[in-house]
Amino acid sequence: MTFRPFLAALAVVALAGCAADPAPNEQIRLTQQALEQANAVGANPDESPELKLAEGKLTQAQADMADRSYKDARMQAEQAELDARLAEAQVLTRKSQEQLNVLNTRITRLRKQLQLGEAQ
Amino acid sequence: MSPMIRGLSCIVLLGSAALGGCASHPNGEQALQQAGSDFQKVKEDANVLRFAPKDVIRAGESLARADRLSSYWGSGADVVHYAYLSQRYSAIAREHTEQALNQERGAKLELERQRLQLALRESKLISVQQQGKWLEEQIASLATTQTDRGLVMTLGDVLFDTGEAELKNSANRTVLKIVQFLQLNPKRIVRIEGYADSTGGEQENLQLSHDRAQSVADVLVDLGIDEKRIQVEGYGDQYPVEANASERGRAQNRRVEIVFSDAKGQLGAAR
Repeated sequence: MTFRPFLAALAVVALAGCAADPAPNEQIRLTQQALEQANAVGANPDESPELKLAEGKLTQAQADMADRSYKDARMQAEQAELDARLAEAQVLTRKSQEQLNVLNTRITRLRKQLQLGEAQ
Repeated sequence: MSPMIRGLSCIVLLGSAALGGCASHPNGEQALQQAGSDFQKVKEDANVLRFAPKDVIRAGESLARADRLSSYWGSGADVVHYAYLSQRYSAIAREHTEQALNQERGAKLELERQRLQLALRESKLISVQQQGKWLEEQIASLATTQTDRGLVMTLGDVLFDTGEAELKNSANRTVLKIVQFLQLNPKRIVRIEGYADSTGGEQENLQLSHDRAQSVADVLVDLGIDEKRIQVEGYGDQYPVEANASERGRAQNRRVEIVFSDAKGQLGAAR
């Protein structure tokens, strides 16, 4: 019985957010994964400002975790995750564009060869 | 401390945190507007809706959250945060859409490439048939020899115009033979080596010999040989087969040699 007010207070604290954010371990893990994935497709912080942002924010999030500023940590990590996903997507778009360029070059060359054949 | 007091102190603490903590954020309104206009753009794009509906939904959810929070006092930083997430999702949606569109475009181009490749092969066959026998004498310089480098086929000077890298049409028969051979022997690979005579500068000769080898490689690729099976080298005027003193000798030195690997794909070392 005596626990009831305590539990109620706990619930209020949990609901209110700010002061009592839980440690965002899962989000940190997701963010790390997103960064690894971006690196795996060949994104590189020197070329991608988004990836650089992501790395900076993840470092900040980890520092916030150490300070137990869990809300800041979560926000930094969430932003870093999407920065990294955008960096990854940009690399993949660029690669698909390069593939198109290769195909177009080949087609141009084939057309030229066909014309040469007709001319001779 | 009784539980009651403990609970009370929690609430008091919380209240002061809310009052003193998060100051209102001046950029909230602006961030919200920008995220809103980005979201509007992706939402109205039929391609984005078709290829990246999940990203669009997430952009919308984050935006709605930012919008809801903007009506609460003191939540400016959260508004900026969710507006940022929404903008990122919109950008990611656009990238995913572009990728999917490129994939569609690529599939179309690939069909076109195959069609042209077939047409080219056919036209080369026809031209070989039309050229008849007299040409065979012209390609007398074409020979396959077993050397210490492996099986080597020589395309002579007659297949290129002087100073030009473009392969002449009279090379069709040879080229088709090579393609056929490579298709029947899918494990074999080739190294195409270009050579020049000693007239002209060293650098020019290196370039010309490489360009000639490359143009043979290009034709093979155009006719359907995987470019991974083809290496290209230009040796300039090195390794002459005849003295460069006579015109006849120089003509023999201007050549492209095709070195075939063994049946397992093992190619002798480059020179």
